[in-house]
Amino acid sequence: MTKKGPGEVLTFYIGLIRYEILSAVKTKSLSIRYKILLALTLIPALALFVYLTIALQVFRDDKVAYVFDTTSQISISIAGQLKTKLDNIIKLTQPILLDLSQSEDFSRLSRAFLQFDANLESMAVMAWNEKAGQYEVGPVLEKIPFTFEKFWLSWRQSWNPSFVQILMNQTVVTNPFLDSRFVIVQKIDRPDARPYLVILLFDLAEFSEQFQTLSAQNFYLVQRDGKILLGPKNELGSNLKDQISLSFLGLNKQVAGSGVEKVVDKSGTTKLASFAAVGWGDLFVVSTVLESKALSAISVLKRKSFLFFIILMAVTVILSLLASSTVTQALTQLHEATGKISDGQFDVQVQVQSQDEVGALAENFNRMAAEVSRLMQQTAEKARMENELQTARMVQETLFPAPRADLGPVEVVGYYEPASEVGGDWWSYTQTGNSVYFWIGDATGHGAGAALITSAAKSAAGLIEALGFSPAQALEALNKSIYDVSRGKVMMTFFLGKLDLNTMLMTYCNASHEAPFLFRRKEEPFKKKDIEFLNEVNNPRLGQSRDSKYSETTVQLGLGDLLFFYTDGVPDIRNRALDAWGEREFIKTLIGSVNSSPSPVEVMSAFTEHFQAYRQEASLADDLTFFIVKTKETIV
Amino acid sequence: MSKFQAKVDRQGSKISVQLGGIIDEDADFTALAIKDAQEIVIDMDAIKSINSCGIREWIKWISEGDKSKVVYSKCPKVIVDQMNMVDGFLPSFAKVESFYVPYYNEDSGSEKNILFRYGVEYREGQVQPPPDVKDESGQVMEMDIIESKYFKFITSKV
Repeated sequence: MTKKGPGEVLTFYIGLIRYEILSAVKTKSLSIRYKILLALTLIPALALFVYLTIALQVFRDDKVAYVFDTTSQISISIAGQLKTKLDNIIKLTQPILLDLSQSEDFSRLSRAFLQFDANLESMAVMAWNEKAGQYEVGPVLEKIPFTFEKFWLSWRQSWNPSFVQILMNQTVVTNPFLDSRFVIVQKIDRPDARPYLVILLFDLAEFSEQFQTLSAQNFYLVQRDGKILLGPKNELGSNLKDQISLSFLGLNKQVAGSGVEKVVDKSGTTKLASFAAVGWGDLFVVSTVLESKALSAISVLKRKSFLFFIILMAVTVILSLLASSTVTQALTQLHEATGKISDGQFDVQVQVQSQDEVGALAENFNRMAAEVSRLMQQTAEKARMENELQTARMVQETLFPAPRADLGPVEVVGYYEPASEVGGDWWSYTQTGNSVYFWIGDATGHGAGAALITSAAKSAAGLIEALGFSPAQALEALNKSIYDVSRGKVMMTFFLGKLDLNTMLMTYCNASHEAPFLFRRKEEPFKKKDIEFLNEVNNPRLGQSRDSKYSETTVQLGLGDLLFFYTDGVPDIRNRALDAWGEREFIKTLIGSVNSSPSPVEVMSAFTEHFQAYRQEASLADDLTFFIVKTKETIV
Repeated sequence: MSKFQAKVDRQGSKISVQLGGIIDEDADFTALAIKDAQEIVIDMDAIKSINSCGIREWIKWISEGDKSKVVYSKCPKVIVDQMNMVDGFLPSFAKVESFYVPYYNEDSGSEKNILFRYGVEYREGQVQPPPDVKDESGQVMEMDIIESKYFKFITSKV
């Protein structure tokens, strides 16, 4: 396995993230996984970036301050050492000058002093020559003969500019040969004569080496005008102002004994400079260091921080991927599961083991999916049952006769409406020879169970009619049939009338059914008290007991008489407020309808119109069945 | 909709039963054991309605008291209608002590139920309604039933 660098690792993760983001975009926008991933990486990345920026800036400022402080201390230290050295040289010359003031020449003692000083090479006195009108070299004290003469010959042409300073009681220190040899020219005042000018030539080799050493930090001994007296070899004699613009260089105003400045040289390189006044003449020790060198630790820190940043981000990305994968795995499963549900696959379950909110969500989803699946199955089952009920309704409709019939001397008009798809009411009429059977029955309850019983009753009724049974015999037989079918769980009220069309005598048997109304023909409008009820006999409901006995009776009908058969669903018609129509309104409406027309069809129409107006298209509480039998006014 | 309510008070061999609400397929008569009682008084004042399934349960329950003296008390119209129509709802061993007759004034729309008591407003085969039933405004009210149908359970016992 090859070892990968930070750059390759970063490239790998960027590629991985790009691939994942593109995959997420294909689905919706940015998936939760990548939102988590971005949150987990961007937040620490931004925090780390801000922290590093602030930390580096603080470190940089601190480092600059440290460098300034250090170089300033060094400059001050060197300036102090130099001042001490120069002070010592001057102190050494004090006895010599005292001796000179007494003898106008250097004595042997002075020469002996000179031999003990390591730095001082020669010393000369310049006195005023009245004739020449100038200072001329007088007594000379030197370790090696002719040293001063050589020096003077090469230097005298160029020292005049410093002469003015000397006369202004300023000590001049210079380096005329751009090496370690220095010259001090000092004015010695005398009470009654022009002052002497004492020239000291000495060697500062130990300092020169210190200034010449090349390193990241350069030291210069400069004059106020910027001339470099000591420093790197190739810069001796040049002017420091040509390189950098230190604020104190060239100024005559008083400056602080030391200071620091950030300067930019001619090439644009930033340097950190510090300076310290030597306290001798206009000498300054200046230290410069390249900022880039001084702050090289910051560059190292930056590189290491960047590397650390990359490693940290890589670790963060990996951990975030793992964490977001864990969190979003369940959500992904849920997402896929919802997709399956939207595609119509409802038997889907999500396997989530976590005990957190996502786990709870998955559990709820599984319950919801199971419930949806169950409801879908129920819906399908309900649809299937509704289809079956529709079929049953169509089948049941075949059990009912035509709603209108002209049976010779009688007319029949009927109405049937089940409370649900199928009902427990049944009515029928059948002409057998000169007789007509009128059936009306109501099974316990309504719906499919009741409808099945009515079907059984219809089947039995057909057989009974064929056998020519009387109503009592018929209901007794039908009772056994229904009891055997329902075992006492479903019962039927029944009314059966058998009308002899020749005699218009109707034999009837009632098995606890609503007694039909008989409106005997009369010229005046009917009133409530005019109604007769076919309730002379009453018997147990069909299916109540297998051994029930049934009795019958007869009623003689005349021309123009009207019979109204009904089930208890008629007075139980409800309006939208669920208020029942009631017996009072039912009978009142029926009487009004019967009075409105001699035609049974129109009576039916008027009656239906009234109860429909009351009902306001509300659902039925019970099956609704009634029919009218009317004997004709005349026999044809 | 008021559910079926039943309250039983047993005093020796006499059982007083108070029934109320709707008697339908959900009405549970199993807690109202009347088989061993000598006298059973059923107060039906609070019964609101009864449907065909309730009738089936009723007949099954009341038939258990065939050895007892059963008294129907304060029968509302919904019960009287069933007594007249359904064979077995008022078995031969049961006697109606009192029942309500609805009255109505068509002009004012006022309604009132008058309690008919055995020996006072009726006896076997006879009904003697109170001479004048008036509403609160003093208007005469008439019976809101068809007498030949409503009093059938009385007149048919002649």
